[in-house]
Amino acid sequence: MINFKKINIWYFSTFFISAIVAIPILTVFSSFFETTSNYSLILKDTFLYEYIFNSIVLLSGVLFVTFFIGVGCAYVVSFYKFPGVNFFKWALILSFAVPAYIYAYSLTAFFENYGTAFSIFKFFFGEGDYNSFIPKFDGMLGAIISISFSLFGYVYVLSRASFHYQSQNLIELGKNLGFSKKKSFFKIILPSARPAIVAGLSLVAMETLSDFGSVSFFGVSTLTTGIYNAWTSFDDLTLANRLSFFLLIFILCLFILENFSRKKAQYHSPSKDGFKSRSLIQLTGYKALFVFTFCFLIFFISFLFPILQMLYWTVIFPKHLFDLNIFDLLKNTVLLVFLSCLVLIFLAFVSNYGSRVSKSKFLEILTTFSVSGYAIPGVILAVAFISFISWFDNNVVSLLFIKTIKPIFIGSILGLVFVYFIRFYSLACNGIKSGYLKINYSIDESSYLLGYSKFKTFTNIHLPYLKNSVFLIGILIAIEIIKELPITLIMRPFNFETFATTAYIFASQDLLEAAAAPSLFLIAISSAFILITSRYILKD
Amino acid sequence: MRKILLTICAFFTFFSISNANEVNIFSARHYDSDIQLYEKFTKKTGIKVNVVSGKDKALQKRITEEGKDCIADLYITADAGRLGAFQAKGMFQRGASSKAVKAAVPKNFRTAYWTGIAKRARIIYYSPERINASDLQGMTYEGLADPKWKGKVVIRKSNNVYNQSLVASLIANNGKKATAEWAKGVVANMARDSKGNDRAQILAVAAGEADLAVANTYYLALMLSGKKGAEQQAAAKKVKPFFPNQDGRGTHMNISGGGILKYAPNKANAIKLLEFLLTKEAQEHIVNNTFEYPMIEGVEPHKLVVQMGLGFKQDLKTKVSSYGKKQADALEVMLAAKWK
Repeated sequence: MINFKKINIWYFSTFFISAIVAIPILTVFSSFFETTSNYSLILKDTFLYEYIFNSIVLLSGVLFVTFFIGVGCAYVVSFYKFPGVNFFKWALILSFAVPAYIYAYSLTAFFENYGTAFSIFKFFFGEGDYNSFIPKFDGMLGAIISISFSLFGYVYVLSRASFHYQSQNLIELGKNLGFSKKKSFFKIILPSARPAIVAGLSLVAMETLSDFGSVSFFGVSTLTTGIYNAWTSFDDLTLANRLSFFLLIFILCLFILENFSRKKAQYHSPSKDGFKSRSLIQLTGYKALFVFTFCFLIFFISFLFPILQMLYWTVIFPKHLFDLNIFDLLKNTVLLVFLSCLVLIFLAFVSNYGSRVSKSKFLEILTTFSVSGYAIPGVILAVAFISFISWFDNNVVSLLFIKTIKPIFIGSILGLVFVYFIRFYSLACNGIKSGYLKINYSIDESSYLLGYSKFKTFTNIHLPYLKNSVFLIGILIAIEIIKELPITLIMRPFNFETFATTAYIFASQDLLEAAAAPSLFLIAISSAFILITSRYILKD
Repeated sequence: MRKILLTICAFFTFFSISNANEVNIFSARHYDSDIQLYEKFTKKTGIKVNVVSGKDKALQKRITEEGKDCIADLYITADAGRLGAFQAKGMFQRGASSKAVKAAVPKNFRTAYWTGIAKRARIIYYSPERINASDLQGMTYEGLADPKWKGKVVIRKSNNVYNQSLVASLIANNGKKATAEWAKGVVANMARDSKGNDRAQILAVAAGEADLAVANTYYLALMLSGKKGAEQQAAAKKVKPFFPNQDGRGTHMNISGGGILKYAPNKANAIKLLEFLLTKEAQEHIVNNTFEYPMIEGVEPHKLVVQMGLGFKQDLKTKVSSYGKKQADALEVMLAAKWK
């Protein structure tokens, strides 16, 4: 498989980057060579099947909801004209700015006994026993709603892009065959957007299965809860690692299954002469009203609702806002975003360029594994990294007569950025890859013929081509890092807080009211980033 | 390239070298009011306090893996069981109970390795509308398993550490077998599957979903204080606290506490900080912000806590230092009873 002639600096660096990304998988896998406590037996006898069942219910629920609203919204804004359509096109992406855990805080606070809903009823109708009929969105239902509304953006953005570029020919074909709109949707539009929808859903699936914040907040017993219990209550990190590994295998199986079911079907019709801009269908009357209401509801539930709840608290308890050290929080957040973007984009470039010039199948497979960072719960990822550094320091570094490397990687900005890198590498790498796929190899060859070196080809030809992809990926990474919680919490240095950790600290004191102000800032900054890029996201 | 690497290493080493006049805290008890307290300490002594707050096990993992290179001096958390378990792993060093600490803290709430900073009780809340105080005469934690409370009890999940410490104390007093039966009885009496935090249990009683709730003392005071809004303040007035096991060993107590880490580079400063936290000034700050009970004599708890009643008998028989050893057993019996 490995062709030794191809080994050069590019090959080596690509290999090296992939190896770093593989650190947590290897650490997690090494748990199979260690002993576990008796928790594994207790778990098997009691809740293991329930955990698995709950994980499946959660996953199915979230996939169903995100599919329905993601594809639904994407379909109506791509094919129809109705009042507000241009607004919804980008407004629906704003849901990305609200992390699932903040959504969970809002949902609970609004519907709990004597919560905000109760106050609203009391304000309008006076004293009364409203608790009994205010629905309680907690437990599994709460988790499905929180995760779905904060993640459906993936499905929306990707399927919208696919609908946008769907060739007019296909749709006309439907018309010529006498298909109704409904039949066209199910027989032509939906199947041809399948790869995009599936890509969106698989991102949702990974985040759902590795989610810990919202499931633990709602107390839903999923596999991640089992992982966490094994570690925190039975002090059995080995079992926690093994369970995470099974989770990872499960997610990989989902991918393989999907790939397999797709077989070799071709989805993209060559767009050079097939692409005509589509004419949109104008909706009027009750149909327009219905579609408008649908989009508005989704926008309201996914974005306005959590924001209004947070604003409500900030207005009632303004002290929490004034107590916030906004400048420091902003400075820290910006520092992390800047460093991570720099590292991620740079290394994603090196690795993609390396794959491209060495044309190695082996490297391609290796890069595919980089997705794993996304599929392991953030907590476990960070702990695996700490364990690895400690092992490496004790067994390798100590032989080199260097005192220690631990303080450099644990509890430092560098370490934090390192783990972010592992976590979000697949995002950066695949983003740059999709940009690269659009640059034909013949362009490289022409450049070499013109006497350009590989490096010059990269700076003078690839880079200008990929400018937009890089910009877009930078923003996506920024949004993810602003929202990131578990890794930041474990890896951060002394006296270092971000908006996310501040919100968490208040929430864990049961003071969601005080968590509102940092949450609002977090959402505002992410939203600003989304607004800057919505033009690009919608185009690409 | 080499130069760049060296510069980066130098840069980070520079930042990680500890400055002599400081103390580094890993805290799993993250009240923002604690930060204000540390600022007071710095003003008074000139010793800078550096803090990383986070989840217990994550912080412990960092301390364990960093080993000798860990620059943290103090580990602070809000459960005696966690302190005990971490001590059992050999991660603390002796010294937390200095002379001044010994003089201030009752014996039951400290060891040579760590000391309590504030106290909380885990008690029963009831609805006076639906339950007569006379029905609760002689009520115990053990009594929560009595079939007469079928469908009336709410308590949070088994993975919650306060529950684990409570059940650990039951195991210490009644044995594992009896406690396993007890857990089954409690699960049979639950008004709903366990969910939500302690405050949610109290609210469930206020809203009529259950008649008895088990929760820590400071949650009711927090609601009564109005920090959770007017609605919850009114709701809190619909429930009453009850201190169980008054005829026997007393009510289950737990602590917030801290211990000095094995490789602490600033041990002397860490002891100074612990001693400061046990001064009258600091204790008053703690009780008025977190609604816990003071650890030392001569400090009055917050007035809302005083209203809940101070004359109750605390369980001083069951050592808080024993919780850690029994927590895993506690979770095991709860899970075996299908306690969610």
